[in-house]
Amino acid sequence: MNAYSAITAHGGLSIPTTVSGGRRKLANVRQRALLVAKWRTLWVLAGFTIVGVCAMARITWLGLVGAAAPAFNPADALLPQRAEIVDRQGVPLAREFRVYSLWYNPRAMTEGSPLIHSPREVAEGLHRIFPDLDVTETAAKLASGKAQYLRKSILPEEANRVHALGEPALEYPQEATRYYPQGSMAAHVLGYVDSFGKGQVGMEQAFDKQLTSADGRGQPAVLSIDYRVQGALEDELGRGMKLSAAKGAAGVVLDVDTGEVLALASLPSFDPNRVQPTDMMISPEQARMGEVPHGFNRVTNQVYELGSTFKPITVAAALDAGTITDLGRRWPAAPLHIAGFTIHDDENMGSSLNVPETLIHSSNIVSAQIGDELGGKRLKAKLEALGFNQRPSIELPARGFPIWAKGEWPRLRTMTVSFGHGVAVTPLHLASAYAALVNGGVWRPSTLRKLDPADVPAGRQVFSPATSARLRQLLRMIVVYGTGRKANAEGFRIGGKTGSAEKPGVGGYRKHSLITTFAAAFPMDKPRYVVVATMDEPQGTEATSFQRTAAWNAAPVVGRVVPRIGPILGIMPDNTRDIDISDLLPLIPHGSGND
Amino acid sequence: MNLTRDRVYSIGWATILLVCFVLTVALTLRVNAVKSQVHQADKRIVAVQQDIAFLETEFQTRSNQQQLKLLNDVEFGYGAPTAEQYLEGERQLLALGKAVGPNAPAPLLYAHDDGSAAPEKDTGNSLLAMVSPVTGASAAAATVNGPEAAERRKLARDAANLSQRLARIELPQASQQ
Repeated sequence: MNAYSAITAHGGLSIPTTVSGGRRKLANVRQRALLVAKWRTLWVLAGFTIVGVCAMARITWLGLVGAAAPAFNPADALLPQRAEIVDRQGVPLAREFRVYSLWYNPRAMTEGSPLIHSPREVAEGLHRIFPDLDVTETAAKLASGKAQYLRKSILPEEANRVHALGEPALEYPQEATRYYPQGSMAAHVLGYVDSFGKGQVGMEQAFDKQLTSADGRGQPAVLSIDYRVQGALEDELGRGMKLSAAKGAAGVVLDVDTGEVLALASLPSFDPNRVQPTDMMISPEQARMGEVPHGFNRVTNQVYELGSTFKPITVAAALDAGTITDLGRRWPAAPLHIAGFTIHDDENMGSSLNVPETLIHSSNIVSAQIGDELGGKRLKAKLEALGFNQRPSIELPARGFPIWAKGEWPRLRTMTVSFGHGVAVTPLHLASAYAALVNGGVWRPSTLRKLDPADVPAGRQVFSPATSARLRQLLRMIVVYGTGRKANAEGFRIGGKTGSAEKPGVGGYRKHSLITTFAAAFPMDKPRYVVVATMDEPQGTEATSFQRTAAWNAAPVVGRVVPRIGPILGIMPDNTRDIDISDLLPLIPHGSGND
Repeated sequence: MNLTRDRVYSIGWATILLVCFVLTVALTLRVNAVKSQVHQADKRIVAVQQDIAFLETEFQTRSNQQQLKLLNDVEFGYGAPTAEQYLEGERQLLALGKAVGPNAPAPLLYAHDDGSAAPEKDTGNSLLAMVSPVTGASAAAATVNGPEAAERRKLARDAANLSQRLARIELPQASQQ
């Protein structure tokens, strides 16, 4: 109606434009909105397409050229950081072992507090898994927000329980550590690896470069040690030490023909898996008391005056020099007074003694006379040829320097050295010397590496083969008739010599502190191995019939070790074999030839 | 659309090329898939090897010499076998034959181990102990070669075997008869 009135009022045709103009506008808006929506859809579609194309391209690319994974070589992944150490049979004595550690990583959670629960609650949770954990200390560590170890070497089941605590910040990475499956066995030979990854004390230190080098890591280092022999020696030394209430013990088993060390034990020992600071260091008071730390190697590092075990060496030197031509010659056995010093025997063994009797009864007086007749020069030269004037030849870093008098020896020193006083050497020196005494007279350096038969050193001829053959008889006689009877394991034809020396102390020798040694070889008809056992300050106990000398503590140890190691080393006991001592039997009173 | 002969050939070559390309791509994808599987297998091998090493170490630790000794002390109490428990050769066998009577002389003993008990393990150590009758020098440092050494080793080896030894004794006897 409004339109009609408009026509009439103006007398002309006028088309109202308000409605149609609004419609057109509306249509435009609609079209534009549609266009925008289309464009948007297109944009989204294009976005999706680009992403899809990119993904497809990436997949195709990966499929065609392979994932850019870092070069992975299983051999490299299995190569240990430090080579294994194995014994001569290939049994691992030291190897790499991957263990879990408990590591606190506060950055594991990207936002907010590093822990879900309070540090105290987490510490208490850990305490339930590790009962010896200090809750307060751990809570402080967790609250500090510093990444650090909470604990090293945890068990897999403990790692599982830590996982169950549900704290992402508690991580348990696997880390390579050095592990010694045999525990404290051969600890002094092996040594240990410190927290910086450096080998300490034993072959770990001596072989450090080889074990960690690129070429050496793949190959295990083979020792001359036989772990069964080592175990038997440690067992029996430990037992002997307990029975005689000794402070320490040392022992070594040496191959007489090659110089390879089959076993080397020093007690008390330490566990290389858990080295305590006290294992390597002692207080000044303890040092003053003559104590040594457990990590101290008594076989290669400690020098002792080894007493009567020197007497066979003196006799051999005299036989070689030709000052003894008749073993039946009798020497006076009355106490000797030389330069204000009296040389006497522990007990009176008659007015005179011949050479076999001297060794069987271990007479200082006659040994001194034999040494005196031989002369200091020749005795000294012989001992130098046996390497007694230098550190023992072995790969270990801990090697003691002998107490050795330089220059010309006065008469008294010659006489005391001839029965084992005035010169202090390590038990390893003695073992090498005994190997030369019985193997035909050839001295060879001792070694802890397993030797190929072609690599055995030629050595040097110290004694003549004839002297060596005679000494075998004499050493066997000591065990059959003399002070070494307790070492006479049936069928093993052991020969050896006891030695008991007083330990030097403040103001002279300490009468009640002995170092007792038994140096032996077996089987005497064809010696293959030398066994030396030393006891530090043994006491007279019920088990040792209240005696303190080597015949009651060191000799029985050898007597028990040899039957255990002999068959392992291919020496079977045989009662139908023995060394022929019949030509020397008439020289001793009860040696009629039948007993 | 007229398909000339050349055009058909071109389309044919192009198709073959396309098929080859597709096959190459498929093969490459397959190769890389296998490579990836090998990589995974390598990783699994390493993990398994590490597990083996772990278990080996655990076994060695549980069965270490000290543990075995404790077990023996507590459970079994085995000791080292004695000489009577060994029977090495015919000589020891012979010794079992008859008990030594009263006032009988002591049985003869072998005074030297000639190494015949373990001939195959003889590394020449018995020869090392030999001494030159002229110079008195030990043969330890000298290397022994030549036919004599071979003969010596053969003798030592034969001595271990009773039948061979008897055969050796019979031969000279046979030649005398």
